[in-house]
Amino acid sequence: MFGEVRAVDDLSVAIPEGAIGLVGPNGAGKTTFLRLLLGLVRPTTGTAKVLGHNIAEGVPVRERIGYMPEHDCLIPDMTGVGLVTFMGRVSGLDADTAISRAHDVLQFVGVEEERYRKIAEYSTGMKQKIKLAQAMVHDPQLYIFDEPTTGLDPRGRTEMLDLVRVIANSPGRNVVLSSHLLPDVETICKYIVILDGGHQIAAGELRQLLSGSADRLRIDVRGDREAFAQRLRETGLEAEATPTGVHVARKPGVEGVIFEIAKALGAEVRYMGREIRSLEEFFLELVERNEAAVSV
Amino acid sequence: MSISLPTYTRREMPLLGRRHRLRAIIVTGLRREFKRPAVIVSTLLGVALIVITSIAILLFAGLFLPGQALDLSFFFVPASNQTVLFFITLMASLVGSALIADDLNSMALTLYLSRPITHADYLVAKAAILAPLISLIAVLPLVLTPFVAALLGLFSWTIALQAIGLAVLLGSLFTAFYTSVTLLLSSLTHRKSYAAAGIFAVTFGLTIPAEILSISISNPALLYASPWEDYLAVARAAFGAPGGQIDWPWALVILLAATLVAASLTYLRMKAVEVVAG
Repeated sequence: MFGEVRAVDDLSVAIPEGAIGLVGPNGAGKTTFLRLLLGLVRPTTGTAKVLGHNIAEGVPVRERIGYMPEHDCLIPDMTGVGLVTFMGRVSGLDADTAISRAHDVLQFVGVEEERYRKIAEYSTGMKQKIKLAQAMVHDPQLYIFDEPTTGLDPRGRTEMLDLVRVIANSPGRNVVLSSHLLPDVETICKYIVILDGGHQIAAGELRQLLSGSADRLRIDVRGDREAFAQRLRETGLEAEATPTGVHVARKPGVEGVIFEIAKALGAEVRYMGREIRSLEEFFLELVERNEAAVSV
Repeated sequence: MSISLPTYTRREMPLLGRRHRLRAIIVTGLRREFKRPAVIVSTLLGVALIVITSIAILLFAGLFLPGQALDLSFFFVPASNQTVLFFITLMASLVGSALIADDLNSMALTLYLSRPITHADYLVAKAAILAPLISLIAVLPLVLTPFVAALLGLFSWTIALQAIGLAVLLGSLFTAFYTSVTLLLSSLTHRKSYAAAGIFAVTFGLTIPAEILSISISNPALLYASPWEDYLAVARAAFGAPGGQIDWPWALVILLAATLVAASLTYLRMKAVEVVAG
């Protein structure tokens, strides 16, 4: 709680191993959730455990966490290798191991030639890589990435996501990825927690959450989707045109009707199957539903 | 057919304890400071000036300080040298003003506190970077002076050792006060220049008006407001020097209380800083 504001409330979630996405609109409580995971704030009620350690312990939790902050937070007058080594030592590595690990992780993230330059001279992409390297240097079990692709150009974003994916797929390593960029989360994470207004509004396996009801079909139509949906509605079917396709309520014989309408309209049915939503669609749907529930 | 996959066990990287982590911050911090020409010059200049003037006064005591007894009370003279005050203020503003303010400005505080250290660890490490540098001015010259005096045969080793012991205590008191106040000022702003200005304001903004007003309205109690006058009162009592207008026990209480209050406020301030910002 911050003053009278309850930043995260009634959050009960058991997060499995692997890559976990943390998404939510601004003010949803993501940052507070990350502070909780890092043991920097304590819950007013309830308990939380990270890797088997109560977050109230703070230091033992942070020994096992590598945190990559969203904002620029590097010490500008240090060199890349100097900063990563220093952070390794502050994490508890001895001097020799810290230097050796710093070189290893800088090579992994792709900062090799520039490692002896001062951070003040680095580009945004290189700074992001240094932030990733300092999170990796002590080989933590849990990585927390807060908006890792912020400020990166498309190439830099792809490189960063590739690095995050490699870490997430490594045995014994877990990732919490907090991002506004839902496609990033969708490509990396297997499990997702969605927060809104300090509450958890959904949590579960991404594939399960995104696969919608078996009672609905999604049709990818080349042609006028709105006209196609209108013709379906005229036949008494429940249909809706969206940017991802035409969604139809399943009924016996619906497939035949769909192909007849396509033939009549000269449209091409490119895909017809169980409705699968994108994370963005699912997220917007949940947030709208949550806002409606709150206003009631 | 049976297939058994290897069970992957991850080797834990052994981590050293908190003492080693703090040492890493302190050593790195001191290395950075000693690479700065301003710090090197002010340290050398401060120590040299205070020691040389003290020895000169000592050698020519009959000329400079007629009537000054050559006993323990003599060592109040180097302790009350105003060059000490100036160089301590300079050192605190050169080094201390940036210690936390720079971390707030660059948001490096996030990096520190997302590591396995606590807010208190961070502050202890920062204090341990600043305190040795301030003590180079506050303690070292006051220790060197009786040492050199004893070597030259001007004082007995008994008196010199007493003076060295008192110098360490007094210097540590003033070092603790300046370290604590400087870190508080540094934690209040993202701009080290503001913190540096605050250190000069605390030193001279309190000392000069307190001295002027105490004379003009004939109220020596105003001198308690000046940390330098409080320090002098304690030093005078410690070395057994005559004079002084304020009581040393109160002066000592004020210095210690200010040190503790500043340290507590710094801790509370650091706890209030949002390390992970959304």
